[in-house]
Amino acid sequence: MFANMGAYGATLIRWALVPVFLLLIAALLYGMLRLIGWRPKPAFGLALVSPWLVGFLVFMAFPLLYSLYLSFTDFSIFSGARWVGLQNYARLFFRDREFWPSLRLTVLYALLTVPIGVVGALLVALLLSQRVKAIGLFRTIYYLPAVLPEVAVALLWRWLFNSESGLINRLLAPLFRILRLDQPDWFGDPHYVLPAFIIMSLWGIFGTNAVIFLAALTDVPRSLYEAAEIDGAVGWQKLIYITIPQISPIILLQVVMGMISALQIFTVAMFVRPTSAAGKFMNQLVYERGFTQLHMGEASAIAWVLFLLILILTLIIFRSSPAWVYYEGRER
Amino acid sequence: MALRVIKRGVLYAVLVGIAVVLLIPFFWMLSTALTAEADIFAWPPEWIPKHPQWHNFADAWKALPFNRYLLNTLFVVLLGLGAELASETLVAYGFARFQFPGRDVLFFVLLATMMMPFHVTLIPTYLIWQAFGLVGEFDPLVLRAWTAWGPFYVFLLRQFMLRIPRELEDAAAIDGANAWQTFWHVILPQIRPALFAVAIFAFRGYWNDFLGPLIYLTDTDKYTMTLGMYFFLGGANEQPHWNYLMAMSIVVALPVLILFFAAQRYFVEGITFTGMKE
Repeated sequence: MFANMGAYGATLIRWALVPVFLLLIAALLYGMLRLIGWRPKPAFGLALVSPWLVGFLVFMAFPLLYSLYLSFTDFSIFSGARWVGLQNYARLFFRDREFWPSLRLTVLYALLTVPIGVVGALLVALLLSQRVKAIGLFRTIYYLPAVLPEVAVALLWRWLFNSESGLINRLLAPLFRILRLDQPDWFGDPHYVLPAFIIMSLWGIFGTNAVIFLAALTDVPRSLYEAAEIDGAVGWQKLIYITIPQISPIILLQVVMGMISALQIFTVAMFVRPTSAAGKFMNQLVYERGFTQLHMGEASAIAWVLFLLILILTLIIFRSSPAWVYYEGRER
Repeated sequence: MALRVIKRGVLYAVLVGIAVVLLIPFFWMLSTALTAEADIFAWPPEWIPKHPQWHNFADAWKALPFNRYLLNTLFVVLLGLGAELASETLVAYGFARFQFPGRDVLFFVLLATMMMPFHVTLIPTYLIWQAFGLVGEFDPLVLRAWTAWGPFYVFLLRQFMLRIPRELEDAAAIDGANAWQTFWHVILPQIRPALFAVAIFAFRGYWNDFLGPLIYLTDTDKYTMTLGMYFFLGGANEQPHWNYLMAMSIVVALPVLILFFAAQRYFVEGITFTGMKE
């Protein structure tokens, strides 16, 4: 039970020294800024922000560039880095049998779950924004799946989708018999793995997204609806011409953040552990190449492809946004 | 009138229908957790086991040294959470209440880091900790928390601080309070709901963290709950013990569920607030 006391103590001491070190840097920065003629208040402000700045430089900016460099080398923990040019990328694109299926699975997963998730969350939020009794209870129930730890979600759905005795296949057995299909091995079959992951993600649809939508819906000015009613608008017209434009900036935010996190799916996938035949997500590939096969150059290349993918998709969404996002006080 | 009643009826039917569909997996999880090993694959299943096997929970807990894993997890959660709350509040204060050249650029960079995939910095970060000789220790999981590494939390806290009326600080300044005193006596009490929200989210983050422990904790004595669960799952060719796995899933989920529903008000307020304001 107390075997780790030594490790706890050592970590605790180092943990307590870090803020001292950061405070020293902040003080030094403050002194230097004062010397070059900054006034006390701005200098104090930058000093306050400096711990984040240190973290950003050491653990974000530097690693980002360093991993770009590593992606052009054959680095592994045991050997130094040797420049190999585009070899890692060439191997991924032309020879790696797992790369393209993984890219396809990851992108399709994101492109399908995000719109379904956002629309679903909006619909649930619209339902819950009706004046109904026991709304608190409904909200709690709807939120429950989203709060569950990823580990529990993954294990539960792995069991639900179990090919022989999972609840889903048992319930669907008559249907498969009619269609003369074998019971699918959801996480072991490349045709079923995507739907399985999408269904799993749908369960947690009423997450943070819907909570934010719910708040956004109550913020839409009532006067707009009243004006529309005078003009004879019916329910769905109010939804399309008032509600959606009014909350479109929030939809944009949800789509972008949802896309970024969907492309990075990792923990759930590791616990569901789809078979190699069914396919792996890109972050699983990064982990496997880097930390089990120790090809860290190649792993960095995969990570950079994923990074660029996220950048491109985010840019596309932002570029398209003037066409469908409505900001108060700005001409469309 | 009749139409209204029908509309209401449909609305409730839909609400209840969705609720039932969402709850079935939970019920299935609990049901499996209480089923004896031999009966797991029985069909039709006993939804409410006649002889609930409560000892499944104890058996599963004892199958691996989960006592130790729990202690390790609590250690990581405590250190990470403490460092994060302290550093993020101060950084947010700097962004919210001080004018300095480059502030807006820095804040934009901070927001942009929310979009950066964790895996792209993974290998160099690992190499940094290796250079310090700290791979295998708890340090890589908690030391970085001092650098306000949750951009979303900094954002949330800053948004809350921007809402505090300036007059309060001006009054404190007239009374001769310095920046620290103002922070401690004026700012902190005002952002309490945001602090709770950050604490809950960060607790869940550390409690659920998988990638960090997977990469950095090499010694089985130092495993956290989540990492322990990963090995509890067994090898690729083993038939998992679903009753034990469901029991442990419930155990792992319980602290998070309890925390979230006990403090629902705070985190709902927290996320809706940042989701809304520019």
